[in-house]
Amino acid sequence: MFSSIEEVIERFAKHDYIASRRIATVIYLASALQKPVLVEGPAGVGKTDLAKVLAASLKEELIRLQCYEGLDEGKALYEWEYAKQLLYTQILKDKVTEVLVGTTGLAEAVDRIASEDEVFFSERFILPRPLMKAITSEEQVVLLIDEIDKADAEFEAFLLELLSDFQVTVPEIGTFKAKKIPLVILTSNNAREMSDALKRRCLHLYIDFPNREQELAIIRLKVPDAAEKLAEEVVNVVQSLRKLDLKKTPGISETLDWVKALTLLNVQSLDNALVDETLDTIVKYEGDVRKAQEELKEYLRKARTRRTGTETTGSSDDKDLLN
Amino acid sequence: MEDKLVEFANLLRQNGIRVSLAETLDAVAASDVTGLGERELFRAALRATMIKRASELPVFEELFDVYFSGLGEIIKGASKEVQDALSMSDQDFQDFLDQMEEMLKNHGEELSELAKQLLQNNNGQIERAMREAARAVRMQGIQRTIEENYFARALARALGFDKIEQEIKELREQLEKLDLGAGMKAKMEEYLDRRLKMLEDIIRKYVRQEREKRDMKAREEQRMNQLGDKSFYYLSDEELEKMREAVTRLAQRLKNIIAVRRKRMKKGRFDVKRTLRANMTNGGVPFHLKFERRKREKPQILVMCDVSDSVRNASRFMLQFVYSLQDLYSRVRSFVFVADVGEVTESFRTNDVKEALDVALKGDIINVYAHSDFGRSFRNFVTDHIGAVNKRTTVIILGDARNNYNLPHDWCLREIRQRARRVIWLNPESRNTWGFGDSEMERYAIHCDLVEECRNLNQLYRVIDQLVPR
Repeated sequence: MFSSIEEVIERFAKHDYIASRRIATVIYLASALQKPVLVEGPAGVGKTDLAKVLAASLKEELIRLQCYEGLDEGKALYEWEYAKQLLYTQILKDKVTEVLVGTTGLAEAVDRIASEDEVFFSERFILPRPLMKAITSEEQVVLLIDEIDKADAEFEAFLLELLSDFQVTVPEIGTFKAKKIPLVILTSNNAREMSDALKRRCLHLYIDFPNREQELAIIRLKVPDAAEKLAEEVVNVVQSLRKLDLKKTPGISETLDWVKALTLLNVQSLDNALVDETLDTIVKYEGDVRKAQEELKEYLRKARTRRTGTETTGSSDDKDLLN
Repeated sequence: MEDKLVEFANLLRQNGIRVSLAETLDAVAASDVTGLGERELFRAALRATMIKRASELPVFEELFDVYFSGLGEIIKGASKEVQDALSMSDQDFQDFLDQMEEMLKNHGEELSELAKQLLQNNNGQIERAMREAARAVRMQGIQRTIEENYFARALARALGFDKIEQEIKELREQLEKLDLGAGMKAKMEEYLDRRLKMLEDIIRKYVRQEREKRDMKAREEQRMNQLGDKSFYYLSDEELEKMREAVTRLAQRLKNIIAVRRKRMKKGRFDVKRTLRANMTNGGVPFHLKFERRKREKPQILVMCDVSDSVRNASRFMLQFVYSLQDLYSRVRSFVFVADVGEVTESFRTNDVKEALDVALKGDIINVYAHSDFGRSFRNFVTDHIGAVNKRTTVIILGDARNNYNLPHDWCLREIRQRARRVIWLNPESRNTWGFGDSEMERYAIHCDLVEECRNLNQLYRVIDQLVPR
C-alpha cells in the first residue's frame, strides 16, 4: 500500500517508470479506495507496463489475463479438470465398488454415490485460471486484465461480479470471496467502447502520448547509453511524426526501440544512412514509412540549414579574404 | 462538499456526460482521500471517478475550471481590483485592512454581518453568503442570457444589497465626523465606494458564469443534433468540417453495432470433427461442443455519385461513409459522373479519404463544371464499365436526376439492374419535387429496387445501415 501520492511517484521511479502526478493520483486512489482502474490510451504509451511496475513496486505477484475474442469463463476463471476426474474414477473403481457393497437396487446405489459426489466437485479438481488465482491468493496481488476491448461484450458482463464485489461464484461449490482484495488494472486500446456498467465500477485513467520533455526523460532512463544529441533528435522527429496522419502512430515503446536500435548500431545523430533503414522500428506500415521518410528528410534539412546558417557567416569572412 | 459534488455531477449531466449516482459517491470517497487542499489532486480524483471516456475529458476540464474556481476566483479578482485601484502594495493593503478593522470595531456595530465581511475583505465568508443566496433564489435553473438581469436582481435582494448600501452610506457620514487625517479619510472613502461597486460586480459576474456553465455545451450539442437534420445543400464551411467528424463518428457507431449483430449469428452447425478433437483429453466424452463458423458473403458495393454542384455535398458524405466502412464489404468501387463517368476507386485506395475526396471532386477525372447528363453518363458506364457489375454487386446511385432535358437513356439503368443484385437510388432532393421540371426521377425509379430521399445525415445513416450485411 502507498501512503501518499509522492510515494507512488518515488517507488515507480525506482522501477524506471516516470509517473506523472495524474497517473500517480489515480494509482493512489485505486489502492486507497480498493477500486479497479481502467486505463485507456493509444497503443504503446505504457499501459501494460503500469501494471507491471505497480506489482514490482509493491513487491506483489502480477497475475495477467490477456483478453482475446472468444475468451470465456473456462479460460479466465476456472475449469473442472475433467481428465483428472476421469482418471480418479478409473483408479478408484474398486473403492467405488466397496462403497456400493450391501446396496440393494439401483436407487439405493445412486443415493450412496450421490452422498459422496462432493469428492469429485471439490477445489481439488478445479483448475484455477488467472481470475480465480487472483481471488484465492493468500497475499495481495496485482491483477492485470490486458486489452479488455478485445474480449467479447459477454465476457465484460461476466467480469462485473469480480470487479464490484471481488468474488466469483462456482455453481457446484459456492462463492469465493477474495482473501486479499487484489489491485486490478484493466487496459483498453479502445477498439470498442466499454459498457457503462464496467466503466462505472472502475476509476478511469487516460494516458496520452508524452510531451517532449517527458519522452526525453523516459529515453534517458531506459536507454542510458544513448547519445544525448541522438535522444533529442529522435524525440523531435517522433513528436512531429505523431502529428502526421499515420495508420499506426508511434508510441513510447516504438521510440525506445528506435533509440535502442540506433545506439546498438553506434549511431550518434540522425544524419546517417543507417537511420533510414531502421525507420521500420517506429512505423509499421509501408505507407507510413514513406511519410516518415519525408518527415525525417524535412527535419534534417531544417537542422542542416540551421547549422550551415551559422557556418556560412563564418565562411563568408573567408570569401572576403579571398576577394 | 457533498452538495457541491452532487451539483457538479448534475452540471456534467446537463452537459451530456453520463455520471451515475455510484460514480458521484466514488467521487466523494476519492475527494476524502485526496483532500481539498491541492487543487490538481482534487481535479484528478474527480476525473478518475466521474469521467470514463477520453472524449469527455475536454468538457470536464472546462467545467471543472468554471465550477470550482468559479466564484472564489471572481471574488478574489474583485478584491485585487480594489487594491489596485487604491494603488497599494500587498503589505500596505493588509495594514489598511487592519486599520479598517479597528475603525469598524468602534463605529460599525450596527453593520450587518455581510457588510462587515465585505469591508474586511473576508473572501471566504462572502463566497459562502453568495452561495446561500444563490440557492435561495434557485439560480441553478438559469438558462438564457435574458434571465441574467432577473437573477442578478434576485440575488442582490437575497443578499440584502440595499441594506448594505444604506449601511455603507451611513458609515461614510460617520467618517466625515472622525479625525483621521485627510489622506486616510480620502482613502477610506474611496475604499467604501469601491467595495460597494465590487459587490455589484461580483453579483453580475457570478450570474453570468452560472448561465455560461449551463448552456456552454448544451448549445453545441443542439447544433450537432441539428446538423443531422440539416440539408446537405445548406452547409457552411465550418459545418462541413463538423459534418466530416460526425460522419466518421456515425461510421464507427455503425461498425460497433454490426460487430454485435455478427456475433449473435456466428455459430453455425455442429462440428463433429472439431468436437472429437477437442474432447480427446476427456476420453472422447463430449464436454465441449464445437460449432462451425458460418461464412458470410460480404456484398460488393458500387457507388455512382453525381458530383455536379447541386449535390456535391451529399456525394462527399456518401463517399466518405462508404469508405469508412470499407472493410465491411468485399469490394467497393466508386464512380463519379456529371456529363461523363470516371472511376475514382484507385485514388481512394492509395490516398486517405480526405485527399481522395478532394481528387474526386476537383475535376481531374471528369469535367465537374459541365451540365448534368445522366443519360450520357449511364450510357458511357454501360459501354465502358458494365463488367464491374455482377450478381453480387449492390449498385448505389446518388443524384438528383435533374437531367437538363437530355435523353434519359433509362434502358442503361435497366441493363445495370439486370446484372446487379440490386440498384438503390438516393436522391438528395425533397421527395415532393421529384418528377417536376427536368427531374427524371420517376422514369429511373422504375428500374430501381429502392429509391430513397437522402437529404441529411440522419437519412444517410439510415440508408447505409440498410446496406450493411446482416
